[in-house]
Amino acid sequence: MKFYKVSAVVLKSVSIREADQLLTLFTREKGKIRVMAYGSCKLTSRKRGAVQPFSHSRFLIRRGSGLDTVSQGELVEMFPQLRCRLDKLGCAVYLTGMVDDLTAEEEPGEEIFNLLLKTLRSLVSGDGELLIRAFEVKLLSILGYRPCLERCVLCHVPVDGSRVVFHAGAGGILCPSCAGKETDGLTCSRGTVELLKLFLRWEPGRLNQLKAGQLVRRELKEVLHRHLEYHLGQRMKSMRFLELLGHV
Amino acid sequence: MRYLSGPVNRLIEELARLPGIGPKTAQRLAFYLLNAPPEVAHNLARALVSARDSVRYCSICANLTDREICQICSDPERDPTLVCVVQEPRDVVAMEKTRGYRGLYHVLRGAISPLAGVGPEDLTIKQLLARLNKGVIREVILATNPDVEGDATALYLARLIKPLGLKVTRIAHGLPVGAHLEYADEMTLAMALEGRREIT
Repeated sequence: MKFYKVSAVVLKSVSIREADQLLTLFTREKGKIRVMAYGSCKLTSRKRGAVQPFSHSRFLIRRGSGLDTVSQGELVEMFPQLRCRLDKLGCAVYLTGMVDDLTAEEEPGEEIFNLLLKTLRSLVSGDGELLIRAFEVKLLSILGYRPCLERCVLCHVPVDGSRVVFHAGAGGILCPSCAGKETDGLTCSRGTVELLKLFLRWEPGRLNQLKAGQLVRRELKEVLHRHLEYHLGQRMKSMRFLELLGHV
Repeated sequence: MRYLSGPVNRLIEELARLPGIGPKTAQRLAFYLLNAPPEVAHNLARALVSARDSVRYCSICANLTDREICQICSDPERDPTLVCVVQEPRDVVAMEKTRGYRGLYHVLRGAISPLAGVGPEDLTIKQLLARLNKGVIREVILATNPDVEGDATALYLARLIKPLGLKVTRIAHGLPVGAHLEYADEMTLAMALEGRREIT
């Protein structure tokens, strides 16, 4: 078949030449793909709305010998609210950047597609910081890096107490005796661990019901970023933009 | 291309470095210049060297100019209380073509792009804030491109400028003149509907 149809969230668009764009899409059908959209920057282009970053669109794509090209694009859902506020825009850039950084091309990922779409929808009116943290832990779980939060990751005994040690290298929480043997553990409150478990169970749309204090938010960020950086082996580029905005 | 002599090859190679010019076009341009009267090539070479050596950035608005302060910044007829912030010098040309704007400009020389690694420190934001702090400017029009980078830059600038007590506006999004609704993309149409105006 010369053509195929995909439902996709636009992760990134890079301008090439006068009016063309190289798009990175996360599709329901084929996972992450890169396609060319010729003429999409032109004022007369009908594809222009569909190729905007963070949009949920349907594309008819033509197979090519090199990169495939967008033949037609139809916008299904746009999130203009995400482009009207700097904090929301920063969160959306971070979410799409994270998916781009952590996924390989053409690896099917319907679960990731649904998670990204639901999180973008919730971001319109929700608490950006908590949604990002929930997205991080959920995405890590889908990719096989789920932190062990139920019992000690080394000796498998239940962990009690109001303070818990999280160890990124071991991949979860540690009991006091195992924590004593490891050096670079991160101490956090029991509430932070419980919130992480809740993030894994709840859909992004329900997270608006949650309230979290500054201490828990800081701990969540530290724990997840330590875990992410350990498994990624590097800092994510999109993190810089959020730091620039001075929050999350 | 070993069929041609050294200088011709070099000319073709140099022309092929230009954006939008492939090896075939470069060859055609090179042969045109070699076949045309010598003045054509000499005038082009002189124009290139003079433009490259004399053009610099205006010390006030960061637009391209051949003097210390550009023609627009030194024009007394212009409204000094109004400044329009654009991404590139070519955006100034586009705005000037409207003939409807009589204020000053500020060229950022790019837009904040988190994924391309372009941050505010890479743009002329410091110079803009220094201009605004002088107290003459009353309104700042943010005319960055309506894409993610342009929107991010506009929102970032608005956050910096608003505490100075100045009026900050963003250019409207909508349908191009002469366009057919049927052919408009969904996002533009939605923005146009949102920004509708009462007919007076």
